[in-house]
Amino acid sequence: MPTKIEKDSVTGRETTGHEWDGLRELNTPLPKWWLYTLYASIVFAIVYSVLYPSVPGITGYFHGVLGYSTRTQVAADVRAMAAQRGVSMDKIKDMPIEQVRENPQLLAVALTAGRITFAENCQACHGAGGEGRPAYPVLADDVWLWGGKLADIQQTITYGIRSGHPDARVSQMPRFGADAILQPAQIQQVADYVMALYGKPVAGADTAAGATVFAENCAACHGDKGQGNREFGAPALASQVHLYGDTRAVVVAQITNPRQGVMPNWNVRLDPATIKSVALYVHSLGGGE
Amino acid sequence: MDIEVGDLVVGLLVAVLGLIGLVLASGALDDEMYLFGLSLAGFAALFELGLIRRHFDRREAVRVHAAAERAGEAGAHV
Amino acid sequence: MSDAALHPGAMAVRAPVDYNMAVVRKFTIAAMFWGVVAFLVGVYLAAELSWPALNLGYSFTNFGRLRPVHTSAAIFAFGGSALFGTSFYVVQRTCRARLWGGEALADFVFWGYQFFIVMAALSYVMGFSQSQEYAEPEWHLDVFLTLVWVAYAAIFLGTLLKREESHIYVANWFYLAFILTIAVLHIVNNMAVPVSIYMAKSYSVYSGVQNALIQWWYGHNAVGFFLTAGFLGMMYYFIPKQANRPVYSYRLSVVHFWALSFTYIWAGPHHLHYTSLPDWTQTLGMVFSVILWMPSWGGMINGLMTLSGAWDKLRTDPALRFSVTAVGFYGMSTFEGPMMSIRDVNALSHYTDWTIGHVHSGALGWVAFISFGAIYYMVPLLWNRSGLYSTKLVAWHYWIATLGIVFYITAMWVAGIMQGLMWRAYDQFGFLQYSFVESVSAMHPYYVIRMLGGVMFLTGALIMVFNLVMTVRSPSTDTKAARDDGAALPAGLAVAGE
Repeated sequence: MPTKIEKDSVTGRETTGHEWDGLRELNTPLPKWWLYTLYASIVFAIVYSVLYPSVPGITGYFHGVLGYSTRTQVAADVRAMAAQRGVSMDKIKDMPIEQVRENPQLLAVALTAGRITFAENCQACHGAGGEGRPAYPVLADDVWLWGGKLADIQQTITYGIRSGHPDARVSQMPRFGADAILQPAQIQQVADYVMALYGKPVAGADTAAGATVFAENCAACHGDKGQGNREFGAPALASQVHLYGDTRAVVVAQITNPRQGVMPNWNVRLDPATIKSVALYVHSLGGGE
Repeated sequence: MDIEVGDLVVGLLVAVLGLIGLVLASGALDDEMYLFGLSLAGFAALFELGLIRRHFDRREAVRVHAAAERAGEAGAHV
Repeated sequence: MSDAALHPGAMAVRAPVDYNMAVVRKFTIAAMFWGVVAFLVGVYLAAELSWPALNLGYSFTNFGRLRPVHTSAAIFAFGGSALFGTSFYVVQRTCRARLWGGEALADFVFWGYQFFIVMAALSYVMGFSQSQEYAEPEWHLDVFLTLVWVAYAAIFLGTLLKREESHIYVANWFYLAFILTIAVLHIVNNMAVPVSIYMAKSYSVYSGVQNALIQWWYGHNAVGFFLTAGFLGMMYYFIPKQANRPVYSYRLSVVHFWALSFTYIWAGPHHLHYTSLPDWTQTLGMVFSVILWMPSWGGMINGLMTLSGAWDKLRTDPALRFSVTAVGFYGMSTFEGPMMSIRDVNALSHYTDWTIGHVHSGALGWVAFISFGAIYYMVPLLWNRSGLYSTKLVAWHYWIATLGIVFYITAMWVAGIMQGLMWRAYDQFGFLQYSFVESVSAMHPYYVIRMLGGVMFLTGALIMVFNLVMTVRSPSTDTKAARDDGAALPAGLAVAGE
């Protein structure tokens, strides 16, 4: 198609003269505001690139006139934050945990730090309010596997349970079924006895035989009345609180092939002052001793 | 039989794709590759059938159109 | 020189061209089908985020597996089919030339692309992914797509070479830039070593921060060239056509095209602010994203100002409303984007739902709306109907969808800013105020609102599908007169195969 420039009566502009499927274009010049804003953005880009790190070289790069670096920035931020926290946390670090509890100012800081650290680290297993879930102990009650005093809680958090750390708390329930320490019949009998301890006796079961099995095999750790033993981390069985569940099937399974939970040792991730804060927080949830 | 060059080239290439699909499916080590290989072969087969169908439909349409024109001419002379 | 209000109707009578519109019809149907699929999966995902129980516990209904189904369906299945269809429509009509390469090649592009879409979706649901965002299909599917893409590029270029008008119309520059750049992006980002030719598992040749930069160079340019340049091509044809007015400024189209193409390539690092990506790379991404603001608005200006002398058409042509509103959302998104690219703004917005809001104002407001406008315009022409079945339904669609978009983006703005502020809140002792999970639970009402916005958008699309089906099939839109040259196929050839 030959070039055929026409004039548009609406805008007064001429066309470029080309036509495609009836479509034409006007030769309107670039809007000035658009052009100047474009230039301004280019100027901004140049100025910003001079001030901030921008251009790579063969081995290094241009660091910018301001010497800004995200890495030094974040390091500075972390230092400032550590200084702000350190006002109280440094004192907490050096103070025995029971003493922190006696100091209202430091306790307030510790409980704040403890709450958020708990939310970010412990909540996933132990629940938002420490309410626990099957296999993860309830922290908000007064039933403790390893002791509920501040120092006990602090140690549990620091070294963990079966965590692999040399100072970890370790308990081992024998595999009464899997290692054939008990006969299957004996396991059934002692399960009936344990259900009675739970306060949910199985209808029609004779607990006398189970009691004998219990006295000979379980009482050493769990106590002759099933009251538990914190030295071994053996749960109290004469209790309404159960770690894995309160059905007879769960009891049989646990006796046969015991589940042994693992709690990490938090000393690698949390500093001592923070651990103390978490211990104080957990202690304050309602069951601290 | 006059086949357009473009159609012939595409037909051959898609046929090769179909064979590749079979090879992949035959040696597939996971479900996805097996599914993909078979589906590719199926796609190629259907595509080829479509090409063949269109070729013969075109030929038919041209034949019908030519016959209608001749009938029209004859009618005009009556 | 003639002095008159110029409109495309006033052109010399020339010999009709036998265009290949069958493939355009196929892609139009595919675009609407995949659009509904994409919106439906999106609504389900939004519901899963609001009520996680909807994950149902099955692997194939899990959010993680369905998410790429949604993103691929929206971008590649819906957006891609719309681009293929309209690009074939536009390149033929503006070049006055039938598609190069013959019917079989065009059919291979159509059916091959549909096959790729279906296989990709199946692979996601089966748990396969390269874990590159918007490039999740595994290596074997990437290879297949490359074959389809090469065929597409050949057809488009071949048709351009056959053109009658010596200059190439602006819409085709944008389509061509989209086709060529996506080819490069696809190949580079998907370079991977398969474990075995018989296994749908591969390892990227890039790792660590290099992988991240390649991914976001790709990711941002998927947005820039697939979702922007390609759809600007669509806009440059359908708006002046629907408005019956010449394009506002040729000079602006030249300058903003080259500026856009050049600056978009650099923008990728703005996805990686404050990560282990080097500071200088982050700066380059940021400053080029800021420069990108005006080149993008060049498209908006040309789109809107072309309506000069034709604004009254918005009252009578609801389809035009979609196209013009699309340009408005485009302008909004291309202002929001450069703003979010600035380091300090990004410090607040990164990883939040504000990014999702931004994505969807672009995807729903710009990409989907400009596609709806084009499809409403094309369907009566493609199927030789007298007009759309119901303009009232178009208006219903428009208002329901627009309201849905507003719900969506405002919910995400509030959610995103809230997340950003909660994550950086410290108390007087220097400890975090909120745990992460507290910010998650704070999102719930906004996720529900967002889901409702999505339901509205889906409803609008279903109204559109009904309207289009009735347009094609209802006797009320029958036409006896042939339309303008090229839209009607010669009778004999209409029989076979389409």
